[in-house]
Order: sequence, then structure tokens, then C-alpha cells
Amino acid sequence: MKSKNINNIGRAILLLVMAMPLGAAAQQDSVKPKLLLNVGYYMNNNQMMYLLANTKAKISGKFKQVPGIAVTVYLDKESPDQLIGKTITNEEGLGKLIIPASLKSVWDASAQHQFIGSTEATKEYESATAETDITKSKITVDTISDGETRKIAVSVSAYNGKDWIPAPDVELKVGVARIGGSLLTAGDEATYTTDSTGKVSAELLKKNLPGDEKGNLILVARVDENDTYGNLKVEKSVPWGIAVKPNEHFFDQRTLWSTRFKTPIWLLAMAYSIVLGVWGTIIYLVFQIIKIKKLGTSGEL
Amino acid sequence: MENTDKSRREFLISGLMATAALAGCGENNNPFAPDQEVKLTGEKVKLLSVNGEIIEIDKAFLKPVPDLPTLSNSEERKGIPGKKFAMVIDLSRCKNLKKCQSACNHMHFVHPGQSWIKVLSMQDSEQSSPYWQPTTCMHCDEPPCVKVCPVDATFKRQDGIVAIDSDRCVGCRFCMAACPYSTRVFNWDAPEMPEEVAKQHYSCETSVPQKKGTVGKCDFCPDMVRKGALPHCVSACPNGVFLFGDINEDSVTNGAETFRFSDLIKDKAGYRLMEDLGTKPSVYYLPPVSRNFPYETGVENQNPDDLHHH
Amino acid sequence: MEKNTILSSEQITQDLLPKKFGKIGLIWTTTLVIICLIGAYAYFRQLKYGLAVTNMRDYVSWGIYISNFVFFVAISLVGSLITAIFRIAKVKWATPLTRIAEIIAVSAIVFASLIIIVDMGRPERFMNLFLHGRIQSPIMWDVIVIATYFCISLLLLYLPLLPDLKILIRFKEKTTNSLYKLYRFQGSFWKGTREQFKISEKSINVLCITIIPVAFCIHTVTSWLFATTYRPGWDSTNFGAYFISGAFLVGAGGVVVAMYVFRKYYKLEKYITELHFENMGRIVVLLALLYLYFNVNEYLVPAFKMKKSEEAHLASLFTGDFAPMFWFAILVGMILPIIILLFKKGRKPFPMFIAGVMIVVGAWFKRYLIVTPTLLHPFLPMQEVPANFHHYFPSWEEWAIAMGSLAGALLVITFFARIYPIIPIQETITEQHEEQEHQ
Repeated sequence: MKSKNINNIGRAILLLVMAMPLGAAAQQDSVKPKLLLNVGYYMNNNQMMYLLANTKAKISGKFKQVPGIAVTVYLDKESPDQLIGKTITNEEGLGKLIIPASLKSVWDASAQHQFIGSTEATKEYESATAETDITKSKITVDTISDGETRKIAVSVSAYNGKDWIPAPDVELKVGVARIGGSLLTAGDEATYTTDSTGKVSAELLKKNLPGDEKGNLILVARVDENDTYGNLKVEKSVPWGIAVKPNEHFFDQRTLWSTRFKTPIWLLAMAYSIVLGVWGTIIYLVFQIIKIKKLGTSGEL
Repeated sequence: MENTDKSRREFLISGLMATAALAGCGENNNPFAPDQEVKLTGEKVKLLSVNGEIIEIDKAFLKPVPDLPTLSNSEERKGIPGKKFAMVIDLSRCKNLKKCQSACNHMHFVHPGQSWIKVLSMQDSEQSSPYWQPTTCMHCDEPPCVKVCPVDATFKRQDGIVAIDSDRCVGCRFCMAACPYSTRVFNWDAPEMPEEVAKQHYSCETSVPQKKGTVGKCDFCPDMVRKGALPHCVSACPNGVFLFGDINEDSVTNGAETFRFSDLIKDKAGYRLMEDLGTKPSVYYLPPVSRNFPYETGVENQNPDDLHHH
Repeated sequence: MEKNTILSSEQITQDLLPKKFGKIGLIWTTTLVIICLIGAYAYFRQLKYGLAVTNMRDYVSWGIYISNFVFFVAISLVGSLITAIFRIAKVKWATPLTRIAEIIAVSAIVFASLIIIVDMGRPERFMNLFLHGRIQSPIMWDVIVIATYFCISLLLLYLPLLPDLKILIRFKEKTTNSLYKLYRFQGSFWKGTREQFKISEKSINVLCITIIPVAFCIHTVTSWLFATTYRPGWDSTNFGAYFISGAFLVGAGGVVVAMYVFRKYYKLEKYITELHFENMGRIVVLLALLYLYFNVNEYLVPAFKMKKSEEAHLASLFTGDFAPMFWFAILVGMILPIIILLFKKGRKPFPMFIAGVMIVVGAWFKRYLIVTPTLLHPFLPMQEVPANFHHYFPSWEEWAIAMGSLAGALLVITFFARIYPIIPIQETITEQHEEQEHQ
């Protein structure tokens, strides 16, 4: 402890230097800000699982993502043979991990698992730990076309060690995938909750939604940050949309705002005829001067 | 070329499972965005599925946001195929917090004092009530700035974005005079940024690094869209004022909520600025009715130099 | 000095051959050189530190450079007025003024191009205009039309100079060796044969016809740099005509000033007579009235309607921050010269000189008023910028560069008058002969 105190001034200076380019308020005192670590569990389409470690800190009253932190995550137990992996958080304070194939036996052994994340103390931050418990679960999406109405059926099921049983009371979002990872909700509600059979049925109230060039829409059902199941997402492509042909014509137009390769013909014609007319005259005049010169010099000879 | 084709195919297959998530707002991104191409490493890793099966994926997907291939200048000038970007700014939600502005300025290394997004204190007439109006580039469909550029340094892309090539710009500032929205700023000085940023190759999509003697402005952050994320102002705003989207998808989102664009504009009487000029902006405003915050809450955040206004 | 005195060819030649600088000439030239050097130093600073050395900012993104550019383009229009229009209309008395007008035009157009490069944030990328030029942009129109006008003006300066070059070569003993070499290089082939004269006459006629539409183009296109935008004060269908009328006025004013100065300094009373002043006075008063008419048009019509976007702009001109300069430009640049020149006594050389100076100075400020106040009145309120973005007053570098460019233009004219006869010798002799025969 004593030797650490001696280093404090040096550390404060270092902190200042390091914090300045980030634009963050420099920490003057020797107390390191608390680092908040979170390990999120993500599962897409009942196959690919991954973990996202997120490091942030409260600096002058505001949460800021902390980059460059090494996070170690274990499965169930902090022992070297149950190591999931190490990651260093990026600019946004995020680090991604997958569960390696070598942990198959551990993974298959139980329906519930715990992800144990930890960071080492750094020059700027104290160490931090995080534990995330999940129950293995699945989410499926299907469609029911009932005459004119189009319904989306979602079911969530959890693993109890032997069987997949319905998961009731799970809040989820159902809708159509849109730009920037957003989800346009199918009905009027923003979220739905599974019933006792683990099911949700949502009618796609939004008619004539534009889809891709073939008219396909991507239906999405998503569970966000559930305490038991983590983050689950499933997608399904359905031909429920309107086929949208991007309007290429708009950019092939010859307009005043087009590029130099798409100048309007009338403008080109005007410009070239004026320029050629005037410069033709200028060239003619230059030839006249040459003619005068020839007349003058031939007289000399 | 073969390589990109491959990467797209692989992405479409593995995309369903390997899409990155943006933890910032707890939102997952759209794995199907057909234009997303990932720079593959060629190295595979084995991982476990929830059922205990072993799958192989490219190492590229181990990053929270996979690296995208660098774009050529002509790709950057063309834009993202199939998209037509638009923004809706909900004036009833704005209280002049200026988080949009600081995020934008920070990400684009805008010169201190200047900004690409201005939150203007507006009052249409003496009797009408004042309101806060965030102003970005309007990305007009009949852009007056592009019309006057002598060297194609500012140009209209297929996806509707009006972008700037700072390596081309001669700094004549005609575009600034032509823009009725006064959205363009000029790098009078050398822009301030870390050396490693300044050394980067200029990209028309990130508009970074800004260069001395050239014009800069809001670019609708197509680089973020390519990554499956939203422009910096949209994700920075805690009140969800900015809704960004694709007209071809007929939807706009602020990250937390997603609306059908046509319904939103119809139901809330969306409008565009200076419609009479015929510039056809891509930015729509929702009128400041039934406001979430009174105008006064934003006054403390106002630029001291602007206080004489109102 | 009156019309009926007939001068001999020898006398004319003696009087009009270029002379070495006297004491005043040296002081004048040195002063101009110093101003130019200060301007060059200011430009060096601008190249080094960027346009940040100017006081232009995001709202006032065009300042004194652009107004100076418009001024130069305006004044250069006079070359076509005096030379071409008078020549085609066979206005004989204007012959001694043609070369003055042409050299003003050439030097002004050169400095117009230079000042536009000075205004660029990236002058080293000038070639982009040719590599990536986009014909939709009015700037490209300006580049093309200015280059064209420069070439035509140069030809129109050169062709009538040929016979004088022959005279200059003949008087070898009156000149320095290097100048003699220059004359020989430029005009040794001119023998003055009938055939040469015939081609030359024809070429000059073609030139005079060509230069008029091109001259109209340079200033119309320059006005379109403003009129093609939406801005209050610029958004006018009248701008081309407004600019051209103003250009004719300032050009004619410039010629009057130059006439007076050359007459006084080179003692040219026999060649630039009071009759010339009288005639120029009548033309200037007409042009001033014309320009006043366009001004009334340009300000009264929007002021009558007072659209919201125009209101603040017009108020700043009529009664606001720019009012002193605005009324100065109207009064000194138009109304007072009109009053002076309406009287016969006002059309004597000295009052004419004063009126000419007033017109030129008024015109310079007028150009400033066309550029800056508009930019200070954008459609959306000026907010969220540092306090100094709300105002504009040129920095010393801007003043130095602008004044340096004006000095540079004067320097070109001065050197031209040192090297070449400022009044065409051969044409004066011919006309004297014709008059003699007539009598």
C-alpha cells in the first residue's frame, strides 16, 4: 500500500495525459473510478451463441464506455479448463466472445449456466467482476395465414435438463426487421408476453409494407435482456411484403445536380456551341495575325 | 470481385447466426441487410451452438462489429444500393440537450465552435411560441449546393445522401452561399484531431478526416448504416428526437422505437423546411405540438451568444 | 489644343512616344510596388495559415475578395464599351481613349482571375477545375468566359498596337535595348503594307463584334454567381442587367480618371481634349442614370413587398448597420456624379476627374454591399456559432491582399504606359490626315 501511495502522483499525471485526448475529465484524486462490467448472453436463430462483454464507468456523473479493458470469462467455474476466452473491449467498450467447442461436455452437462467475467485492475480502474446466469432456451417464429389476416406465432421454450418446456411470461418484441437493427412492431403494442404455453400470436397489422426486390419481409421475434434467458432472437423471411424496385432512373437523369458525366444535353449543346463559336473566332484571328506576320517577313526576304 | 461475392454469400449463410449486436441500446442489428459485406479473414474458429453442436465460422465475426471492406471512392460516390435515406425530427421531443451536436462534433472532429448540427431557437411569429429545432443537412433531392459545385466535390448519391469529397474540394464556398439552410461549415483552420486520425485516408462516408480549406457538413453517417447502426446524432439523443430510416423500407427508427414513415408523417402532419424553394429535403419535421418539455427547459443550454434572440 | 489645330506626324510621334518615369512616376511606381509586396506577404500568410487569417466565417463565407473580384470584372467591361461599341458605331473622337480602356480591361481581368484564386481554400487544387470541371456550375461558366474575354481583350490590345510597334522600332534611339528587343519580337513583321492593314482592319472589326457578347457574358455570369442562389438580395431576375449597367458606369468612371491622369502627367492636352471630357461626361451621366434606374428597381420592388426573408436584409441597408455605406454608395457613386455631370462646367477635366473618382470608389463599396449584407441575413437564424461569426469586417490580410490587387492592376497599367504609347500614334496620325483632307 505504501509504495502505491508514492506512485499516486505519477499515476495522476499519467491519468491526466491519457484522459486528455479522450476528452474525458481527468481524475485528479487517487481514487480510481469504478468500472462496471456486464456480460450479456446472446443467441441468434437457436444456433449461434455469443457473449458480449461491456465495460463502462461513471465519469463526472455520466456513463462512458471504457475501451481497451481485458475481460476474462469462464463458464460456471473460474478454472482454467472452463475458460471461455479473453477479449479486449473496443472503442464502444464492447468485446465479443464465443463458447469454444472444447467446452462441449460442460455445456451439455446442465440446463443452467453461469458466465463469470472479470477484469484485472488497470492503472485507471479497479478490477471488476460480473456474473450472468442463463437457462438454455429456444425461440421459434412461424406464420399463420388466416384468409386476409397474417399472424406471427412465436414460442419460447426452456430446457429443463431433459426436455424443452414452454416458457411463460417472457416479454418479447415481434415485428419486421428494419434499418439499423430496428424492429417495426407487428401490431400496435411495442411488446408481447408469452402465455402459459410459451406462445405469442401477433397479427401483422401494417399492410403493404415494402420488402426487398422479391417482396420478402424478415420477421423478427426478439427477447431483450431477460433475467433468465438472456437475449434471444429469431428471424424468418416471408413473402408478405411489396416488391420494391429501387428507382435507379432518378440517378440516371441528366439534371443540373447530376455529376459532370450526366450534364443535361441542352446545357452541353449551349455551352459547346458558344465556346466553339467564340474560340473558333479567336483561332481565326490568331491565323490572321500569322498571315500578317507572313506578309511582313516575306517582304523582308 | 470474386472475394466480395464469396463474402456476401458466406455472410448470408452465417449472418443469421453470427450477427453482431450493439449493446449500447440493447438492439440487435439487421442481419439481412443485403448490402452488408464483411471483410473475411479466411481463418475459421469452432464454436458451440445452444444444442451442443459444433459450428465453424470465420474469425471476422468474432469482433463486436465485423470489419467492413474499405470502399473505393467511386463506391462512396455511388452510395448504398437500394436505399433512400430519410430523417424525421420530432420537435415535440426536443429540449435543446445538444447531445446530438456533441456526439456528431466528437465523431467527425468538427472544429471547436463550429457544428454540423445546430439546435436553433425558433419562433415563427411574435404570437407563436418558441421551440427548439435541430438542423442537419437536409440531403435535398434537388440539392442547390450540388448544382453549383464546379468540380463534383459535393454530390448526390443513389441512397439520397449529399456527401463531400474533401480530397476534391477546391474551397470556393459557392455551395455555402447556395445552401438556404446554412448547413455547411468551412475548415478555415486546420481541423484539430489526433494525428492517427489525421493520417487516415479521407472517406466520403465518414467525412473524416476533415481538411483545411474545404467544406464540411452532416453526412447522414452512411458508415454507421453499413455497420448496421444508426447515425451518431440518432443514438446520442436520449429523447428520441431523431428518427432515421429508409424510405424504401417505409420506416424510421430512433433505436428504441420504430415507426412506419408514411403513417408517422401522415398522423403527425410532418413537413419539410422551405418547401417553396423546391429543394425537396430528405429531412422531415414533426411539429412542436403536445410537447414533452416546455421550451424554457432548454434555455439554460443555449449558446450564450444567441441569448439576445427572443 | 482645339479641334482645328492640325498636328504634324512628327509632332504627334514626339508627343506620344512612351517616356521614362519622372520623379512622380518613380514615387508612384514604388508606392504601388510596396503595396503589392505587402499584399503578397499577406497572401503568403494566408497560404501558410489558411483562410483563418481572414475574417470570413461560416455565415459570411464570401467577403472582400469576392466583392473585389466583382469590382474587377465590372471595371474590365469598359474595354468593350469604349473600344468595340464606339468603333462599330464609328465614333471617331473616342480613338485616343481606346488603348486606355483596353489596358484597364486587360489588367482588371487578370487581377479578377488572381483574386478568385486567392479566395480559394485550396488554390493548389486549381487544376481540379479542368480535371473534374462540371459545366452545370456557374463557376465553370465564369472560368470559361473570363479566359475567353482575356484572350479577346489581349488581341484587341495587340492588333491596333502593331502599327505603333513599327514606329517604336523606328525610334530605336529613344528606347532601351531590352525594350527594343521586345518591340522587335512583337511587331518586327509589321511593314504597314496595304494588305496588312486590310487584314488587320478586318480582324479588329471581327474582334469588336465578338467582344461585345463575351463582355456581356462575363458580367452576367458573374452576377449569376449570386442570382442562382436563393439568398435575399441576390435572388433577382434583374441581376445580369443590373450588374452590366453598373459595370459600364464604373468602367467609364475609371477611363475618365485615367484620361485625366495621363493627360496631366504626359501633357497630352492636345490629344485628350476638353471635347473628350465633354463627350465622356455625357456618356457617364447616361450610364449613371441607367445604373440608378436599376438600383431603384433592385431595392424598391422588394422593399415594397417586404417579404420576411428580405426584410432584415433591406433594413440593414436602409437604416441598419450598412446604411452609412449604402447611402454613401448611392449618393457618391451615382447621384452626386449625375448632378456634377449634368452641368456643362461639371464636364470640364477636373470636375470630371472628381466625379470619376467618386464613381469608382462608390462602385467598390457597392460591390461590398452586394456581397456581405446578404450573407449576414440567412433564412435560418444565425445561432450556435461563436460571436465573431455574426459580423464581418475584413482582417488586415484581406485588406492588404485586396489593396495589393488594386495596386497590382494599376501597376500593370503604369508599366504598359511606360512601354507602349498610351494613345495610338498611327491612328491619331491617320485621323489628323483625314481631317486635314476634310478641311
